Amino acid sequence: MANKMKEVDAVIVGLGWTGGILAKELTEAGLKVVALERGGMRSTANDYSVPQVRDELRYVQRHDLMQNTAKDTLTIRNNPSQEALPMRRLGSFLPGEAVGGSGVHWSGHTWRWTDMEFKVRSLYEDRYGKDYIPADMTIQDWGITYAELEPYYDKFEYMAGVSGKAGNIRGQIQPGGNPFEAPRARDYPLPPLSTVLASQMFSEAAKNHGYHPFPRPSANASRAYTNPDGARFGACQYCGFCQRFGCEANAKGSPHITVIPIAMRNPNFELRTHAWVTKVLMDSSGKRVTGVTYTNVLNGEEFEQPAAMVLLCAYAINNVHLMLLSGIGQPYDPVTQKGIIGKNYCYQTGAGANLFFEGRNFNPFISAGGTNATIDDFNLNWDFDRGKHGFVGGYTIGSGFNSALPIGYRPVPRGTPSWGKEWKAATAKWYQTAMNIGSSGSVMANRYNYYDLDPTYRNAFGLPLMRMTFDYKENEHKIGRHAAELINDIAKSMNPTTFTPATARTEPWTVVPYQSTHNTGGTIMGTNPKNSAVNKYLQSWDCHNLFLIGANVFVHNAANNPTGPVGALAYWTADAIKNRYMKNPGPLVSA
Amino acid sequence: MMRRLQFFGTLVAAFVLAAGMAHAQGDPKHGEKVFEKCRACHAADGAANEVGPGLGGVFGRRAGERDDFRYSPALKRSGITWTPQTMNDFIADPQKMVPANRMPFDGLPDARDRNDLIIYMLQVFK
Repeated sequence: MANKMKEVDAVIVGLGWTGGILAKELTEAGLKVVALERGGMRSTANDYSVPQVRDELRYVQRHDLMQNTAKDTLTIRNNPSQEALPMRRLGSFLPGEAVGGSGVHWSGHTWRWTDMEFKVRSLYEDRYGKDYIPADMTIQDWGITYAELEPYYDKFEYMAGVSGKAGNIRGQIQPGGNPFEAPRARDYPLPPLSTVLASQMFSEAAKNHGYHPFPRPSANASRAYTNPDGARFGACQYCGFCQRFGCEANAKGSPHITVIPIAMRNPNFELRTHAWVTKVLMDSSGKRVTGVTYTNVLNGEEFEQPAAMVLLCAYAINNVHLMLLSGIGQPYDPVTQKGIIGKNYCYQTGAGANLFFEGRNFNPFISAGGTNATIDDFNLNWDFDRGKHGFVGGYTIGSGFNSALPIGYRPVPRGTPSWGKEWKAATAKWYQTAMNIGSSGSVMANRYNYYDLDPTYRNAFGLPLMRMTFDYKENEHKIGRHAAELINDIAKSMNPTTFTPATARTEPWTVVPYQSTHNTGGTIMGTNPKNSAVNKYLQSWDCHNLFLIGANVFVHNAANNPTGPVGALAYWTADAIKNRYMKNPGPLVSA
Repeated sequence: MMRRLQFFGTLVAAFVLAAGMAHAQGDPKHGEKVFEKCRACHAADGAANEVGPGLGGVFGRRAGERDDFRYSPALKRSGITWTPQTMNDFIADPQKMVPANRMPFDGLPDARDRNDLIIYMLQVFK
């Protein structure tokens, strides 16, 4: 029998970026909030300071800040005809665990997704006709606009200390920025990070091709910064240990140095760590949730936390899993295409080339999370005619360094043996002389890419694992081939001593090696309960006091990293709750 | 203990006087602004240890002396006693003066910034 706790105004499941933002905003609005985080407490002073944080074995090979697959994981398959097997080791993507979540170990890349995503179906149908979008591509408009989100992107960027160069301020194109970005009200809070040789060489080559390189916007503070909430950032030291590590200098925009400590100083807020939520509880009407059940993972004790409002703020994958385990909403079925929960799981694609320049020293160990130059000519640029190539979506191309680590970063030319004396000699020879040009491509939703509960395998709590069915489709193969060709053109023009060309990902997707922690969809947002799990305020259509906050609401996955829109949507939802829902609890959009 | 405090008190006074020649002139207001670069890790009131040690009473102290903060072995071994002059030399390029110290900060190349910062620190971190 679970211990029943005292009812609170809101319970937050998972304390990373979205949980932290909601915790701060709602406690300041006077709500009594409890956050349940399944991992432990972590801080810069105790966990991320030098020298212990510079430990590649602990943080990269052994995934110290990530979800433990011995407790919970996914089963994986490429298509419904296969039997899914559990992912017993992390590989392709790395969900975070502990206070701060993935917001601690991210690189900081902060993009604004625009109406090119939010109006994806109407834009492509208007330009190329209804038949252009394949029948099994289940994309739809999101029900939100860039104009609505702009102030919230701004708020997230200023809170997280993003360094960058605006390309479009209120319609005025700014030299040095991204000319294809949507108009912003003002520049980034901090100037761009310093450039490195690889990003300089790439930028020059890209310009020679007529493209438009710009510094990648990143939540790595290019100088000391105090954000509007009074949280203090040190200047980035370009230490090279960014992605998968906490920041030793408090220079990376992270929830544990910004929103979370502010919430924790508020007497309305309580954090319970090691609290693993197993179910969201519904009342008998099925129209309201009443709280959650959770287990203290340290001693196995079970609790019920009643709450007037439940906010699912765990990693995107885990939010969907919790919905399926709780039986809220109808699970998606790819055969009948009925049901919503689990629908439109998306990932990202990519391609990359390694270039080797004898005699050049790239010093790859010097980098921030976002020491890259990028081009958006094949992503946000709507003048780029996809019709000739027959795909929906796009890709960015970038170059620079980002956590080129001593164990894992061993670039060698194609044909080098993968172990032994020759490999050792080659890694020594080429370490300083290599650079990479990489792309990140969108993945459009597909009828057969989805989540459901696995019929066979269970987690440490005896609950069914979630099953992921995913593969790249022809649309993504086309994007990958286009990107690889572009990358190889740029690479050749740079006259490297030798280079390993980019190739499109057309083999079936696998869970190894690492690819990207940008998993989206499963409880998508939309304009009505027939096509979506939540409305534009991320409020459940089924239960009006349940909000699902994270990339799980994305209808498809863009080429850009998702944290910008995740953060903006969290602030947008916080405002909707504070200004509208608290005054008049009920559906914020009538169905 | 009392005697020890008095001893340091005297020392600080002596350093402030000794520093008079090099550091009497300066702008503590500007120094306070420069100290913003340190604030992500060092508390403004000098009391609590955060990511970096509290700096209250730093002048006159030997480097790595607080027993409630985990300093790098490099700093503990450095043999530095903090004076306006040693602080100036250290903060100009911390890794140059104490290689392998673990403060993630690349230094203040500007002499005026350092001067004003130290004037400010002498005022607030007594």
